[in-house]
Amino acid sequence: MDWFSFIVAGIMVYVAVAVFLIGSIYRVIQWRRAPKSTVKQGMFPRAENPFKRTLKLGKDSLLFPQVLDTDRWMWFFVIGMHLAGIGLFFGHLRLLFEITPLYNALGAGGMETLASWVGGAIGISLFIAFTYFLLRRFKSPYRELSVPEDYLLLLLILLLVLLGDHLRLTHPFDLASYRDYMSSLLHFKPAFSTAITFSADKWVLDAHVLTANMLLIYFPFSKLVHAMGGFAGNLLRSE
Amino acid sequence: MVTREEQDLAVKILDEKTNRQLLYYLDICTRCGICKDACHQYVATGDVLYLPASRAQLIRKVFRKYFTIQGKLIPSVVEATAPNDKLLEDLYRASYACTSCRRCMYYCPFSIDTTWFTSIGRAMLVAIGRGATILGELADAAIMKGENIDMFRDILIEGLKDTEDEFKARVGDPAATIPIGKKGAHSLYVALAGTHTILPMAIIFHQAKADWSLSLFEAANYGYFYGDTARAKKIAQRFVDEAKALGVQELIISECGHAYRVMEFLYEAWAKEKLPFKIRAVVDVMHDYIKEGRIKLKPGSLLEPVTYHDPCQVGRNGGFYEEPRNIVKAVAADYREMTPNREKQWCCGGGGGLVAESEFDTLRQVSGQKKVEQIRKTGAKVLVTPCENCRLQIEMLNEKNNLGIRISSMMDLVVESMDLPGAKPA
Repeated sequence: MDWFSFIVAGIMVYVAVAVFLIGSIYRVIQWRRAPKSTVKQGMFPRAENPFKRTLKLGKDSLLFPQVLDTDRWMWFFVIGMHLAGIGLFFGHLRLLFEITPLYNALGAGGMETLASWVGGAIGISLFIAFTYFLLRRFKSPYRELSVPEDYLLLLLILLLVLLGDHLRLTHPFDLASYRDYMSSLLHFKPAFSTAITFSADKWVLDAHVLTANMLLIYFPFSKLVHAMGGFAGNLLRSE
Repeated sequence: MVTREEQDLAVKILDEKTNRQLLYYLDICTRCGICKDACHQYVATGDVLYLPASRAQLIRKVFRKYFTIQGKLIPSVVEATAPNDKLLEDLYRASYACTSCRRCMYYCPFSIDTTWFTSIGRAMLVAIGRGATILGELADAAIMKGENIDMFRDILIEGLKDTEDEFKARVGDPAATIPIGKKGAHSLYVALAGTHTILPMAIIFHQAKADWSLSLFEAANYGYFYGDTARAKKIAQRFVDEAKALGVQELIISECGHAYRVMEFLYEAWAKEKLPFKIRAVVDVMHDYIKEGRIKLKPGSLLEPVTYHDPCQVGRNGGFYEEPRNIVKAVAADYREMTPNREKQWCCGGGGGLVAESEFDTLRQVSGQKKVEQIRKTGAKVLVTPCENCRLQIEMLNEKNNLGIRISSMMDLVVESMDLPGAKPA
């Protein structure tokens, strides 16, 4: 591993994960430590019992019915993006652990074909969704409502997705090499395989990891904390 | 021009008012703009400042400047801003124009309550002497009345003489009285300024054989509209103390949406005490009387097509959707529902103190257009609503838009539909 890769795809990964975890936990602690107003929200109709309240919380936080009612295109891309995000998580998890039941069912070849198709679809979906979110910001009244952070965050995510798509889609996916890299990270001995080191894609992988690091580091300080706090907001509503 | 001391004071207020709820709201808004279709003011004017997320963003800019790492390291990226003149002017318009209808909360995917931002905006402005003057004056007048009630008591009782005579005539009972200061009464009724919410309720209470007493104070709370919790608490405390002194079991708030919200949802948190009596909305009390058969209405006695407007503080923020509808339907031969209704009902445009602020008259008129469209579509000739602000606003819309409807309070509708033994009004 050259010194640049060692910093960006090695040391910085640990820093980013640490900032992400500690920052996110700190953010939750900050919320929980703030005094809770005893003012009752009083929003009606109100869920009649804790079960219905939980059901409503889940519906509001995971299916975004308000967005569906107001802006169908936005809902389509929002739900698509979040579903693709879940797929993305499992896709990357596969670089650490094989999804054994699927592997046993499909075999090595079948699993690769599925991963290739699903991974490709997820990558493209994310690119389209984030492009839509970015373009939407240029339209009034979203333009007036947006702050530079909104554009920069979307550009960062788009770059991250684009680099990931390049690694996934442009030529045969070197699963073994990426698994070796992830395993080296887990063992605190970051290293690229020879195949990656001498590949033209080394710089793309460096850039992909760099943008992922940046996103992880900025996450606790950005509006992306809605992934955690959104549930609390929706829960407050029914108090 | 705003001074450094004023800026510090505004920031201090923001710091003091920041709690868990506000922190969530400050952090999780993605500025997706889904709330744009919720606000009648934004929909009618297209002014982005009225977009709920924009109103919140003004507070967020100041918060980020003083209380966040990103605001200190990258202020221009997150638009962290000191409360400068431009921001304070925008904050005035965004906060005081808000009718606190909370319709946007239903639209927000994270249920962000914009009124947390606008009420803090108002509090910041009040602290630096930039609050809405008229609301402050009305609040102070109410507090002054509370502090000098011995001076006002006889004038108030004297002023009720004519009303009491009319009341006796209507119920056909020369011994009937409007009780004031009745110790041990079951309920203390807090009316609005004037006698228009006293006479009908006196008739209803009399016919229902209710054990009640009339409060010396009016329900409206301009301290709440002003954005000053201390003043708002003092205003409400006048009749809270009166209720405690009389030992009543329930405090009935007249047809005044925000006054009910203040008492039912806010007062105990402000005063840090559990009230020893129940808070009731008068519309709920009337509904119970009808349900229990204590008063009888003539079914189908209202022949003209009638519609019902959900006041935001009675419906969406108060929880009474079906009770008022049941009352209207009990007397209407032709009931017509507005669309949308209940929790998605459009705000009339007059809440939040706007009816008292002449500077927002044009905005009230323009932003009431959704309501005008709704009313027109029903074809109704009578509109019933149990909120004084809504009634005043819709009366203005009626006049300006030639809607040709009659606007009635719920209690007037009930009295009109009762068989009273006494003389009918001339």
